[in-house]
Amino acid sequence: MSPRAARVARRLVLAVVILAVAALAGFTYMVGGPRNLIGMLRYDQREEGRLRVGDPAPDVLLTALDGNRSPLLVGRGDKALVLVFGSFT
Amino acid sequence: MAERYADRAVFRTVYIKEAHPEDEWQMDSNEDEGVCYRQPRALGDRLAIARDFAERFDYRIPLLVDAMDNAAMHLYSGWPERFYIVGSDGVIAYKGKPGPFGFEPDEVEAWLDEHPAPAAAPAPATLPAEDAPPAAS
Repeated sequence: MSPRAARVARRLVLAVVILAVAALAGFTYMVGGPRNLIGMLRYDQREEGRLRVGDPAPDVLLTALDGNRSPLLVGRGDKALVLVFGSFT
Repeated sequence: MAERYADRAVFRTVYIKEAHPEDEWQMDSNEDEGVCYRQPRALGDRLAIARDFAERFDYRIPLLVDAMDNAAMHLYSGWPERFYIVGSDGVIAYKGKPGPFGFEPDEVEAWLDEHPAPAAAPAPATLPAEDAPPAAS
């Protein structure tokens, strides 16, 4: 490789590295900082899931705040049931 | 929303695994608001946080807590938050996207607006023939 070709190759590598670092910094800023980026990579459990509109809703046994067990789908009568999944944090 | 649509829908919250506990993916906003919990390792811890939540926000919607095997969370892919609507026939009628970006109360309201309350059985306009008073002769 000629000295000129070697110089061009070094500059290309440097440009790619700078672009990659800038992209990582931009993405980190976008997700709210390095702590969120690490959290997202380690703990993000979002998924589309297998259930589809038109599927029978699966029932599951849960615990009410008073400690009593209760099926998820019980007690809705002839009304629709709106389910809100979530946590405090 | 739960009160506004009480004629047509029952609302229920499923408290699942913490999304941002302090020993995992802690968020600055939770620190600012003093909402700092470790990820529960036992059902009693999970119940305690759910009770804190209900008390802090005077939360009126019935709240059920997922088991420690996260059965409900896995069945419904509910993490970190998500809406579903189950029709009166027990079939899934609406499935929201995962939160926070896909958590859309407006979509739930739109569905409820399009599905009015079950109609009450209409009162008979006239008495059945056998109950009608005898005609004067």
